[in-house]
Amino acid sequence: MRPAIFFAMSKGKSDGHKTSEVLQGTLDLMILKTLHAMGPLHGFGIARRLEQLSEHVLHLNEGTVYTSLLRLQHEGWIAAAWGASENNRKAKYYSITKSGLKQLAKETEDWERISGVIGRVLRLASQKP
Amino acid sequence: MIRKLLKLWARILGTVRNESRDTEFQTEIDEHVRLLTERYRRQGMTIEAATLAARRQFGNITLLNEDRRDMQVFPAIESLRADLTYALRMLRKNRGFAAAAVVTLALGIGANTAIFSVCYAVLFKPLPYAEPSRIVTLWERQRDGTLSDVAPANFVDWRDASRSFSGMAAVRASSFASSFILGGRSEASRLAGGDVSSSFFSVLGVRFTLGRNFLPEEDRPGRNRVAILSNPAWRDRFGADHDIVGKAITLNDDSYTVVGVLPADFQFGSTAADFQARSQADIWAPLALDPQRLQRGSHTLRVIARLAPGVTQAQAQAELDLIAASMARVYPDNNRDMGIAAISLADRVTATVRGPLRMLLGAVGLVLLIACANVANLLLSRAAARQTEMAVRVALGASHGRLAQQLLTESLLLAGIGGAVGLLVALGVTAALAPHLPPDLSRAAGMAGDVRILAFTALISLATGIFFGLGPLVGMRRISAGESLKQSSRVAGASHSRLRNVLAVAQISLAIILLIGAGLMAKSFWALTHVSPGFRADRILTARLSLPRSRYPDNRRIAAFERELLETLSRKPGVQSAGLATYLPLSALDNGWSFIVEGRPPLPVGMYNMAKYRPASAGYFETIGIPVLRGRSFTPADTADSPWVTVINESMAREYWGEQDPIGRRLQFGAETWRTVIGVVGDVLHEGLDGETKPEMYVPMEQAPNTESGPTIVVRTALDTAAAAGELRGAVAAIDRGIPVDRIQTMEQLVSGSVAQPRFRTVILAAFSMLALVMASIGIYGVMNYLVIQRTREFAIRVSMGATRAEVLRLVLSRAAALIGAGTCLGLAGSLVLVRVITGLLFGTAPLDPLTFAAAPALLAGVALAASYLPALRATRVDPIVALRYE
Repeated sequence: MRPAIFFAMSKGKSDGHKTSEVLQGTLDLMILKTLHAMGPLHGFGIARRLEQLSEHVLHLNEGTVYTSLLRLQHEGWIAAAWGASENNRKAKYYSITKSGLKQLAKETEDWERISGVIGRVLRLASQKP
Repeated sequence: MIRKLLKLWARILGTVRNESRDTEFQTEIDEHVRLLTERYRRQGMTIEAATLAARRQFGNITLLNEDRRDMQVFPAIESLRADLTYALRMLRKNRGFAAAAVVTLALGIGANTAIFSVCYAVLFKPLPYAEPSRIVTLWERQRDGTLSDVAPANFVDWRDASRSFSGMAAVRASSFASSFILGGRSEASRLAGGDVSSSFFSVLGVRFTLGRNFLPEEDRPGRNRVAILSNPAWRDRFGADHDIVGKAITLNDDSYTVVGVLPADFQFGSTAADFQARSQADIWAPLALDPQRLQRGSHTLRVIARLAPGVTQAQAQAELDLIAASMARVYPDNNRDMGIAAISLADRVTATVRGPLRMLLGAVGLVLLIACANVANLLLSRAAARQTEMAVRVALGASHGRLAQQLLTESLLLAGIGGAVGLLVALGVTAALAPHLPPDLSRAAGMAGDVRILAFTALISLATGIFFGLGPLVGMRRISAGESLKQSSRVAGASHSRLRNVLAVAQISLAIILLIGAGLMAKSFWALTHVSPGFRADRILTARLSLPRSRYPDNRRIAAFERELLETLSRKPGVQSAGLATYLPLSALDNGWSFIVEGRPPLPVGMYNMAKYRPASAGYFETIGIPVLRGRSFTPADTADSPWVTVINESMAREYWGEQDPIGRRLQFGAETWRTVIGVVGDVLHEGLDGETKPEMYVPMEQAPNTESGPTIVVRTALDTAAAAGELRGAVAAIDRGIPVDRIQTMEQLVSGSVAQPRFRTVILAAFSMLALVMASIGIYGVMNYLVIQRTREFAIRVSMGATRAEVLRLVLSRAAALIGAGTCLGLAGSLVLVRVITGLLFGTAPLDPLTFAAAPALLAGVALAASYLPALRATRVDPIVALRYE
């Protein structure tokens, strides 16, 4: 159930709550990391890789991957170029840029810090009853 | 930074190149969905099921596309476009409102642009010289602080002694300037001359269109038969001949060689009025001062100088003070107590017009404020009517910021349209004004279309839009969806109606200030034109004659011509009398001289009796209507061979003889023969209707040294101007075809021309104040109208409870009266302060003129009350049943 909320929220600016910013960033972060780890990929490839990594727990609307890709492109963290896919069809390949690498490092650190905090808080709460 | 720019660029491109991106993106998505479908097919699904599953997994494509557009398109531009479209639609739907606002703005902005363009041209536009700010004018300063033209010997001494200037040059003052008769043509024509020292044009930094400047050796007597043509003279008289340089032309029957042609934008003057086209010299010739015969007593030169690099004006002034002190020691007779004043040329040129133009600029600013208040008021009524619309938008999720953006877009759109129309208004107004510009504002001619003027219009339109656009924003914060929707239009907001009242009061007070200013100006202009000038201007034709020196070398010849001309004229039917004079009143030409009185002890060194020196012929006083108070006037018997005589004016008689009879007393002008006073005539306002009378002394033409400027003939006639001019030309031509007759004008034109500037500023200010009156009245009408609409139910209840119509009427009008009263008080208070600014522009009118201070508020209150009467009347017609049915 939870992952579904995650990705429904990533639809973007439909409402202005702060929480969605964080969640929206989650997919962005995952895509950045994927491109970092795997090198240039097209949208379909990214979707497959995320599916694989999440071990089919996440059911994401794959269209949102493209929203995220556009956003990352706008920030200049990834670049896109047309190339040929494995079966020789025209496909757009995305790769992480220098500033994308920087952003990834920063976001990763943030994520770890925050998830660490949240983890501690949750553990604390569960000890109480 | 660069990345930000690139991002911005991408977004801008996004708005432009939407289409190709759309298809690219679509391809990418289609491919993705195809691959998903393929995968499901491989898992054994039917085509239909696989397609469906793939689509489900991909999600909502339309939503995705929208997201993408949101991101790629510049959101600000996008929403601006939406706002603009919406604003335009609103304006189209409310044509009455849009027209009222645009007309108000166009008048306000147009008037401002027009006045600004005049001010820019006259006050701020640099003079057409190289580094004009480095050019100063130099003057002799008398002990009492008056500045006078410079004696040639002094000019030469200053030039030789000073080190602060990279160049110093002189030009003969216009009263003494040469005039040239251009020969070798079928009809003799007169060209205005300018006599300058050789470095004159290099001090100004003029780049010649053709040829060169005068050489120093050409600035000597005997070598000076060279001429430089003004661009208009070169174009009009010499057909823009490109080979003119080096050619000989005939001037005053002498042969001159043309050495250069000045650029088209060249103008020179040391006062604002000098810049009118007819005051500009056509032909420049070397001054050619004779080093052996330099005068120290006659002050005939205007001196200009260019500050040397690195020298400030203060430093130059300090050096000039030293030079003046040493010259006072060396030439005590002439130069004791004489100082030297350096005044920047630009300051000097704008000195007389700065005050009036600042006044007009201030006045037109007030007009714009009133216009802004008016439009703000209109917008507030709109805002009230749109309360529900705004509430719905808030309810649908629009932020207050977004609403403000929408409202501001509408205001700016209005201001933009108003500014565009205003620019057209300004172009029309300046074109209409151009022929009526007073001489001292003549630099403003041909100003239209300057980039700076366009920038000014754009700027004030923007400022105006923001300024009046702020009005409706006030109180908008309070809009909350629930309340406004529930209570509909009644909660139009207390803050709004308070603001409207404030605006109405402000408009009235500003209008009062303008009305009082205009009233004072009008009254002083009336006073000015009803001053008795000392002569009778009606039915008098004047014209200037130029006698070629070659054929009229001495007084005897000139006198013979003049005598014959007067006789010929006196035989013409329709000519009642005629006379000649060298310096006509209000002609801006004048000459003064020092004199001594017989039998009086000599004055201490450096002190002089000064009087104006005016050659005039027999018949002059009778023709122009200067009354002879005592003794006699000149007759044809006063010739060069008869005893030398003079007629003095009342002021001179009073100043030098008091109660005694001056007739028969003798005095001596300069080095002339002793003259006997034979008559006393009335004073004349020679320098201007707002000028003072000065001691004047008239001498018979035949007994006066011939001056450079030709005599002016005055003819009193029953004929109309054209017929009289024809008779005059005929009479001159009958005697000598080679004498040009020009500057033909009636004495009334001369008088009217002398008050052109006061008339100009009075008319403009009056127009502004009427505009203000109308706008303020519309403002108060709007406020009262709104009040009546807002309180319809209340009036209905009052009427149904038994209030009479008269009581309702009184209720509304008393409200209007309160606003008008408040505005009037504020306006009067403001006027008391602001009237000080224009005190210097008033003539024969007290700054706190009681009539004006009573009439202006009365006029405004009357008009404003009348404007409030219409809504008040509507309030009395409220039908309680209809009005209350909605409850």
